[in-house]
Amino acid sequence: MEKISVIIDGKVFEAEKDTCVLEVARRNGIYIPSLCYHGEVPSSGGSCRVCLVEAHQGGRMRLVTACNYPVRQGLEVKTDTPLVQRIRRGILELLLARVPNSEVIREMAAKEGVTEARFRKDEGESERYKCIACGLCTHVCAEVVGVHAIAMVGRGADKKPATPYDKPSDVCIGCGACAYACPTGAIQLKEKDGIRRIWHKDFEMVRCSVCGVPYIPKAQVDWIVKRTGKDRSFFDRCPDHR
Amino acid sequence: MTQELSKFDRIIERYERSEESLLAILQDYQREFQYVPEEGMRRLSEVMGVPLSKLYAMATFYKALSLVPRGRHTIKVCTGTACHLKGAPQILETLERELRVKRNGTTEDGEFTLECVNCVGACAMAPVILVDEVYHGQNRPSKVMDIIKKQVGS
Ligand code: SF4
Ligand code: FES
Ligand code: FES
Repeated sequence: MEKISVIIDGKVFEAEKDTCVLEVARRNGIYIPSLCYHGEVPSSGGSCRVCLVEAHQGGRMRLVTACNYPVRQGLEVKTDTPLVQRIRRGILELLLARVPNSEVIREMAAKEGVTEARFRKDEGESERYKCIACGLCTHVCAEVVGVHAIAMVGRGADKKPATPYDKPSDVCIGCGACAYACPTGAIQLKEKDGIRRIWHKDFEMVRCSVCGVPYIPKAQVDWIVKRTGKDRSFFDRCPDHR
Repeated sequence: MTQELSKFDRIIERYERSEESLLAILQDYQREFQYVPEEGMRRLSEVMGVPLSKLYAMATFYKALSLVPRGRHTIKVCTGTACHLKGAPQILETLERELRVKRNGTTEDGEFTLECVNCVGACAMAPVILVDEVYHGQNRPSKVMDIIKKQVGS
């Protein structure tokens, strides 16, 4: 792997060529706000736009999304110039108008001094009231879990993650990875009496034979066993009691 | 059921088994059934090995594809600025009443789907309606039903 050096906010860092700016910044403790990117999810990023930074290279400056801009030798990144701040505030204001109920967005916006959106607020149905339609959940479902239970449905302002026909999906295993990955906590996952409910479907949970806590959907165990050939008895106990 | 499936298979068989064929197949569904039936989507997913979620995302993205049955004929009422001023609201009202259907709805007998569009580029003929893509201008509430009946021959 080729090592290069890149300048971020005046400091020089060494990094592997083509790592994204956001990763390099994170590893070195430099804050760039981000929502839709996850390092383990190949197609993630590039959607929410809050990670915009100035990229200076070859005498030119461009505003780029840090989460999918590759670092090259000679690149200089500025994460906090007046221009970046202004654009960032604009984006956060739009997000705030879209999901005024999201604590994550409210906090992130407040950090940049945005507390109120001038635009008409969107307080749609509860189902998507925190969703910024970034698509991360659907990428996780397709690329990390590999079941393709949900996808981005519709277009424009009505776009949302959903199962086909908003019905319980035949392929969903109830793993909850989508809910876990969602930056704004927009996906409902409820658990009661050993039953997990997510995406309109109920999942029977397997209980740990030691502590009795329901900890994994049976459908997820079936999926892992089928895919990896792991012994089913492995799942008799929760991670704390293995 | 088998018969149902084979009518989808007949369409699917016309194409190569590749991702590039998906949209064309959905378009053929639309043409043949006036909408994209859920069973047809499930069958396509099965035959092509493509996740249903992906097909559903496609079908909801393209405006040319409809997930609910559409009428045999489509009536589009232009509600652009010029047509609006020239009385499009009255035309629309008349059609909604006469056909007993709301905008974006389909009549009970499956004959007509009523839609609104914004300026079809024929403002000089305002107010304009399109019946299965045929333009009719200078409409009046009292005449509009006759024009439609004459064209579709009912
Ligand atoms: S539910 Fe969460 S992860 Fe999925 S699109 Fe909405 S904000 Fe993004
Ligand atoms: S984190 Fe970069 S665009 Fe969302
Ligand atoms: S407004 Fe109706 S054709 Fe232009």
